[in-house]
Amino acid sequence: MLFQFQQILLQIFHKFNQERTISAPFHLLRGKRSGQTVQDVGIYQLHSYFGILPKLSRKKYDEELSIFVNEQFILIKEDGYYELTEKAFEHLKKSQELVFDGWHYRGNEHVFFARLSLVVQSLSHHLAGKMSFIPYQKDEQIQQWVRMFLKTNHYQDGQLQQKLLKEILNSLEHIAMEDRAKNILIYRLSGYNAAGFTWQQISFEENLKEMDLQLIYIASLHSWLNAIFLQVEEFPLLLQMVENIRVKNPLSGSAFQTAELFFNGHSMEQISRKRGLKMSTIEDHMVELAMNDPQFDVEQFVSNEDVQAVLAAVDDYNTRKLKVLHEVVPQLSYFQLRLVLARGERVEA
Amino acid sequence: MKLEDILNKYFGYSAFRPGQREVIEKVLDGKDVIALLPTGMGKSLCYQLPGYIFDKPVLIVSPLLSLMQDQVDQMKQFKEKRVVALNSFLNPMQKRASIQNLHDYRFIFISPEMLLQEQVQQKLNSMELSLIVVDEAHCISQWGFDFRPDYLRIGQVLGKPNRPPIMALSATATQKVLGDIEAYLNMDSPYKFIHSVDRPNIHLGKMLFQGREEKIEWILDHVTKTAGPGIIYTQSRLKTESLSQRLLQSGVTTAAYHGGMDPLDRQFIQQQFIDGSLDWIVATNAFGMGVHKQNVRQVIHESLPSNMANYMQEIGRAGRDGEDSLAILLYAEGDEELAKFVGIDDYPVDAHVDSYISYRSRNELPTSMIHNGEISETAFRVLDYWMNQLQPADVKQRLSSMKYEKMRAVEEVMDLIETNTCMREQLVHYFGQTLENRPEDCCQCCGLQYENIIRVREIIDAPSKELNWKRRIEQLLIGFS
Repeated sequence: MLFQFQQILLQIFHKFNQERTISAPFHLLRGKRSGQTVQDVGIYQLHSYFGILPKLSRKKYDEELSIFVNEQFILIKEDGYYELTEKAFEHLKKSQELVFDGWHYRGNEHVFFARLSLVVQSLSHHLAGKMSFIPYQKDEQIQQWVRMFLKTNHYQDGQLQQKLLKEILNSLEHIAMEDRAKNILIYRLSGYNAAGFTWQQISFEENLKEMDLQLIYIASLHSWLNAIFLQVEEFPLLLQMVENIRVKNPLSGSAFQTAELFFNGHSMEQISRKRGLKMSTIEDHMVELAMNDPQFDVEQFVSNEDVQAVLAAVDDYNTRKLKVLHEVVPQLSYFQLRLVLARGERVEA
Repeated sequence: MKLEDILNKYFGYSAFRPGQREVIEKVLDGKDVIALLPTGMGKSLCYQLPGYIFDKPVLIVSPLLSLMQDQVDQMKQFKEKRVVALNSFLNPMQKRASIQNLHDYRFIFISPEMLLQEQVQQKLNSMELSLIVVDEAHCISQWGFDFRPDYLRIGQVLGKPNRPPIMALSATATQKVLGDIEAYLNMDSPYKFIHSVDRPNIHLGKMLFQGREEKIEWILDHVTKTAGPGIIYTQSRLKTESLSQRLLQSGVTTAAYHGGMDPLDRQFIQQQFIDGSLDWIVATNAFGMGVHKQNVRQVIHESLPSNMANYMQEIGRAGRDGEDSLAILLYAEGDEELAKFVGIDDYPVDAHVDSYISYRSRNELPTSMIHNGEISETAFRVLDYWMNQLQPADVKQRLSSMKYEKMRAVEEVMDLIETNTCMREQLVHYFGQTLENRPEDCCQCCGLQYENIIRVREIIDAPSKELNWKRRIEQLLIGFS
């Protein structure tokens, strides 16, 4: 029996297809904003895991990894690459995994929950007739946001509690999610004379490891957020709380500038000169763009025929290694290959 | 307006507690003051009340970020808007804005690190203050258990001619430390208010064991049979978790508390403890600062504190309401070695001095030692301070004598274990005071029956509290379940 975290890790190692080093999953989980990690998200279809554990320490990661080695799930080679064992593949067949949406939330789910927590804490105190209290959320921005929210929604009328309760119940009830996961979410909230439960306390009640608990918590937040976005008209209050939570433009700042110039008709060479950036950097940006923007047309760089050839090669040789693909489709440059891979099986944006 | 009226208007109290009036009057006269008041005796009122009389800001230097945040929260809760905390929690934009408007605040809390920054000093030099408060002033003394090198510079920064009065506050300081406070802050023949450190309603127990497991067995037995609320202090984060887990399994509502936990979790625990939904906390010495719980009935030390001042401060969290409370110090053979190890564990050694020098000679910043994992931040602060004051050989000398001092501090706690005479007397003597009276059931040596002090634990048949998210959110938002 593997713990959640290990299952997720195994899943990621599997998706990397043994073509990256053992450090790649670590950077992915922490959501590293480097060209390599971001492009790998596209190439290996790892959107769901991106940045779900921004605070994961290398020490903790290495500990889990050494369990994998001891349990013979994985062989680590001297050059830092790895191989999954038969035992690992057996496990992958039967494993049930949590569903994340890391790519779209990138840690912002915690902002949503902080807002919700402070709103609930405020309303609970208001209900008890306590007009002043010490907020658990210390972040000034969150506090200001909540103050505005309460005013805009006329909390003095005393109706807001009921309305919010209804939205929370309705939105959560219809999500296909274990009650256990809903408990984890709701018991992290606090109110008047009712401090939230600590991870240790929930873990004791639900008999789960704390790390797993937190992963379920994050996955549940992602599901909840997605549910809210699917039926915005049903949840007017929650809709306010998800303001700016979902990443609309997943491009990094620099890539975004390149994209703007590109869409304004500049060629890659012109952009490179104008921005004083190396051509290879501009290529990185274009790959990021191909990954993220459904409007971006890969065929202005690669013919449809060649795209098909690359995708066929990926299947035939079961690899996404550029070197191998370049041998099979030699007429394409590495840049073109990366564009195709980035585009390949793009998830719905 | 009379002081009492101000006390009533702004704080809602009708009378001062011992020492408060004297201290406030001296400060209003423009005199420097050192006040030694036990925790929970209204130290902060001593500078908050003058803040409402003066028309210039009060500057409060405070070493502990969590404590600072706690005080600011409390003041804001009482509708004081003109309060700000300048510390490393601020982002650059907030920091700039706060510094720019510094003169508009009534109370300015600041960390010593922040005080030393150029832009802060410039701003402070351009404005007038009414009072400078140095909280936890014992941190200035290298003999203090919590030496903060940055504190030594406070005197240099704030000790300008025409400076406002300085108020140095502490809960625990020996004679030697008091001397250091006066000297390093360049105080001008300060008025001293020294409250007795004795807390007659806290009864001092101790228990000796052969081995560690026996000690744990005793705790499990004792805690399941006697009434809390209580705190168990232990050394390591790991131990807080394992012991709390065992208590939970025995049906006692318990939580672990240590500095490495999620900050939100720490707040939850403090609040649950204050609410009464949590009976026991198993904690490292990170627990207690800013926890205002009046009715703590027991404090148990599973491991030896690293010095008398820590012991005093930790047992002082019991019985703030003045009711009888029990402090039990547990000892198993070899515990003093462990305490010494913990005491000097986070302390720079000779190798760090050498490493510091080689960083310098390679033209690298010695702070990289922290990032490279060679040394902890606290240890580096001490090292860095001395490396800037003394020659390397003298630094080594200094470090070794301080290390020796820390080991001796553990021996002083051991005296409490080994003594056959009054523990209370010994404790009070340590702080350079004399014991006036002995309460009934004074201490283990004078004769102490635990059952005279604490009650038997009532086992309430708690309704099954299986988690139920619907019930919970209803309870939070509409108040019934």
